[in-house]
Amino acid sequence: MMGSRGPDKKPNARRPVPQLPGRALLWLIAAFVLLLVPQWDRLPLWLPLACVGLAGWRWLVHLGRLRLPGRWFRGGIMLVMISAYLVTINGGFTVDTAASFFVIAVGLKWIETRTPRDFYVLFFILTYLAAVNFLFEQGMIWTLLNFAGVMFLLIGLQILNAPDVPNALMGGWRRLLGMFVKTLPIVVLLFLFFPRLAPLWSVPLVSGSAKTGMSDSMTPGDISNLAQSSERAFRVAFGGTVPIPRDRYWRGLVLDQLDGNTWRQSRPEPYQRLGRVMNDGGVGELGPSEYDVLMEPTGQNWAFALKGSAAASANVYESGDDLFRFRRPADTPVRYRLSYGHSAGAPGALTSAEFRQFLQLPSGGNPRTRALADRLRRENPDAAGFIDQLLTRFREEPYFYTLRPPKMTGDSIDQLLFDARRGFCAHYAGATTFLLRAAGIPARIVTGYQGGEAGAGGDYLIIRQYDAHAWVEAWLPGQGWLRIDPTAAIAPDRIEMGLQQAVADEGSFLENSWTSPQRYGDVALIRWASLQLDKINYQWQRWVVGYQGQTQLDLLSRLPGHWGLKELGYFSAGLVAAGLLLAGVLSALRQRALVIKDPFARITEQWHQLLLRHGIEVMEGETPRETAERVARAVPAAAAPARSFARALYNHYYVGSGGGESGDQAKERDRLKRLLRATRKQLNTKN
Amino acid sequence: MVFRAVGNQWRKRWSRWVDRRLPRADKRAFAQSNIFILPTGMGWIFAVLLVVMLLTGINYQNSLIFLLTFFLGVVFVAAMHQTHSNLSGLELTLVHAGEGHAGETIPFLLRGSSGHAANLALSVRVDGASEGSELSMQHVDRNTSSDMRLFVQAAQRGYLRLDRVRVETRFPFGLLLAWSWLRPQTAAIVYPKPLTPPIPVAVGVDGDETGREARVQGQDHAEMRPWRLGDLSQRVQWKRYARSGDMVIADWQGEQGSPHWLDFASFPGVDTEMRLSYLTAMVLERAQSGEVFGLRLPGQDIDPDTGAKHTQRCLRCLALFGIDKEPSKVKAK
Repeated sequence: MMGSRGPDKKPNARRPVPQLPGRALLWLIAAFVLLLVPQWDRLPLWLPLACVGLAGWRWLVHLGRLRLPGRWFRGGIMLVMISAYLVTINGGFTVDTAASFFVIAVGLKWIETRTPRDFYVLFFILTYLAAVNFLFEQGMIWTLLNFAGVMFLLIGLQILNAPDVPNALMGGWRRLLGMFVKTLPIVVLLFLFFPRLAPLWSVPLVSGSAKTGMSDSMTPGDISNLAQSSERAFRVAFGGTVPIPRDRYWRGLVLDQLDGNTWRQSRPEPYQRLGRVMNDGGVGELGPSEYDVLMEPTGQNWAFALKGSAAASANVYESGDDLFRFRRPADTPVRYRLSYGHSAGAPGALTSAEFRQFLQLPSGGNPRTRALADRLRRENPDAAGFIDQLLTRFREEPYFYTLRPPKMTGDSIDQLLFDARRGFCAHYAGATTFLLRAAGIPARIVTGYQGGEAGAGGDYLIIRQYDAHAWVEAWLPGQGWLRIDPTAAIAPDRIEMGLQQAVADEGSFLENSWTSPQRYGDVALIRWASLQLDKINYQWQRWVVGYQGQTQLDLLSRLPGHWGLKELGYFSAGLVAAGLLLAGVLSALRQRALVIKDPFARITEQWHQLLLRHGIEVMEGETPRETAERVARAVPAAAAPARSFARALYNHYYVGSGGGESGDQAKERDRLKRLLRATRKQLNTKN
Repeated sequence: MVFRAVGNQWRKRWSRWVDRRLPRADKRAFAQSNIFILPTGMGWIFAVLLVVMLLTGINYQNSLIFLLTFFLGVVFVAAMHQTHSNLSGLELTLVHAGEGHAGETIPFLLRGSSGHAANLALSVRVDGASEGSELSMQHVDRNTSSDMRLFVQAAQRGYLRLDRVRVETRFPFGLLLAWSWLRPQTAAIVYPKPLTPPIPVAVGVDGDETGREARVQGQDHAEMRPWRLGDLSQRVQWKRYARSGDMVIADWQGEQGSPHWLDFASFPGVDTEMRLSYLTAMVLERAQSGEVFGLRLPGQDIDPDTGAKHTQRCLRCLALFGIDKEPSKVKAK
């Protein structure tokens, strides 16, 4: 607390904070914390902590324990946080950086929230933050979380607008949930039928930072790091039969340039202007040779595909080397569709430039490996025989597949092949390619994923990061590129049953991921539950998140009438109009019912009608007594009951405490009815 | 300038239309036909935000943003319904228009009764009235009524009728504003502002103004006092002014005559409003001390009496002196 002792010399320097309703503030802070959760792992740690701290400060101000900072102090905080932010984002503009800016803006806003207007500013920013959160996380749990955050905001608003209503909180929730339930059908119909336009313009990437997953270069240790992650890479559904495990090689990248210890792509990825978002991953039933991939965001352009595939949806294209690429980096989950089983056709020949590239090796190093290549080549002039003998050597000699390889430096391939003899797929793939090239056989490394676990019900495969794999392709004249997987020779379990089985003896599977359910995959219940959960999320992703323009049109084409976008527009407008009309009619009906429901109003109405029949018009604004006096003048006989009636009516409306006991009300009502009958009798006898 | 003129014209037209739609009455039940509703400034910003969210959803082809946008859009529409129904069903009645003196605040007792739904967070104010005469956060729970007191500054004596009492609500989210007006029939009565007469005033014997005048002229019992604003120049003692430079007024001696009558005619040369103010002060003084007194105004006499009712009658007479009857009552449709 700053300078709170002693009298305030400058009363204007710190205006007293107008009391915003405390509970409204609490709900707003709660919503902020909730909406921060999806951002948590991508923000630098200091940022959410600072923001929550500032929110806490605002709360202490509300409790009267602290004061809001003065202008200079506030400016200082702002300056520090924004410069720290600028350093963190480092110049790139993506939705990610924009979202963290929102978080900062909200954080800073806490310490100058004085008026309801500030409260609304926070409400608007946080609502938009909830929308932005959906760009990052689209799982069902995240959806519920974001909606809960928005609900909290709406509760806060209600309390702000009527803080002292008794039972404001319960009433607010009841009102909100009532609204939610009543409007749900319209929300669903709008979701289904509101025309899903194509993107209007190209928007910045959601995230510029790299995610867990493949990278475009490989040093032997890389893939074993990836093997520590059980995050999902993608899920695949097949239209026909699911390929057997040893055919599940998901090709992503070709690495054909060895620099020191690192394998790279010789051709950099072509530059592409950032295109519009294309999430349409094909519609309709999968054909027997088609498969549908739902890939988690990688922030990269590459798609993963089986060998011999062809693009079946518009958002992927073949970029050469039998590889597939997106037109826009996969910054959000992407669905795409491919067909497979296409034979590559008659292989062409390599150009001399390609030949040089695929035989490229560093000028020196690994002498023992080069000697081995020379010896094997001499024994097998035929390339196929060379490969056979190499794989036999891997199969029969004591080579081990391990996630804990010893450290190898210097001539690392020599050490792997002759001394350590322990390595992971990347080690063996690198060594094999080296050997092939040293023997004059064009070769390259392919990275991607291998295998995949069947999802619940066997409808689809789940491929996780620990399925990441590296293998080799060698060029054989007349046959083209041939896949060679040294890992399959050393540890067949890895290919047939997956990483967990392959390293079961070692116990190194996901050894650092205590919380991953996959780590406990051998416990049947956990495995079952995690697969069921995944299936629900998969369906959610496919049908709710993945409900896009083409899906919508596909759905509509199955409905009678063959609707297009225009009809959809009309339909949505009609829907909103009909909803409004219905609400209006209902409330009008209720209003009418209300008037008739009030027994006193009904009696008064009857009284007016009676007088009108006898030529006494009741004036607007006339008190009952004045009316009664006119009745008395017109029909003296009716004076007594009319005056009593007027007095009783006056007492009910103006004197009685309003509510009153229901028993009293019944008595009053009976009395009025009696007097009404008496008046009627007198008036009728007059005529 | 032209725009302002046109704007004014439209405002007048709108005002006339509202007046036609809401005839004067002390009681008004708010329903579909007389409630107005529009988004507040925050409501418009919210609408813009929804459009931005929709664009984000379209450009990122993000279904969940669509879903959130539709949800909030429908909530906005539902809020329109909520805000409207929060005002509708309310019955606002002017139960009592208070009385008071010019320059004071006059209390108006309003009663809001609600139907089967509560009417929450209402604010009530008089259109065109000064600050402070607004009531905010008034809640009327379902099937009950609650009293609200509006205080309105009275500028001058006579009838004080509230042209429009505006009742409005932004509940539940503050994104929409529903409002309507009560245009009460009943007016409050504002008494003249009491002003103590300069000196004890002659309480007249029956209407012999000339005699009194003569005495003053003769200066038998006249008392001298300094000049004040409102004195006629004829009554200044100019000779004395020439001698000493003091402006002195010769006033009559007030002990004579019947003590029972307060007479409009006892302040010759004083402005009517001032006379009424003097009389008001005297009525209040007499009422306080419990004396018997009568009031004599041109064209009407109130016989000497005492008591609260009598006092009120006199004060009302003073308040409405020279003012036409209340505007005729608007007939029901």
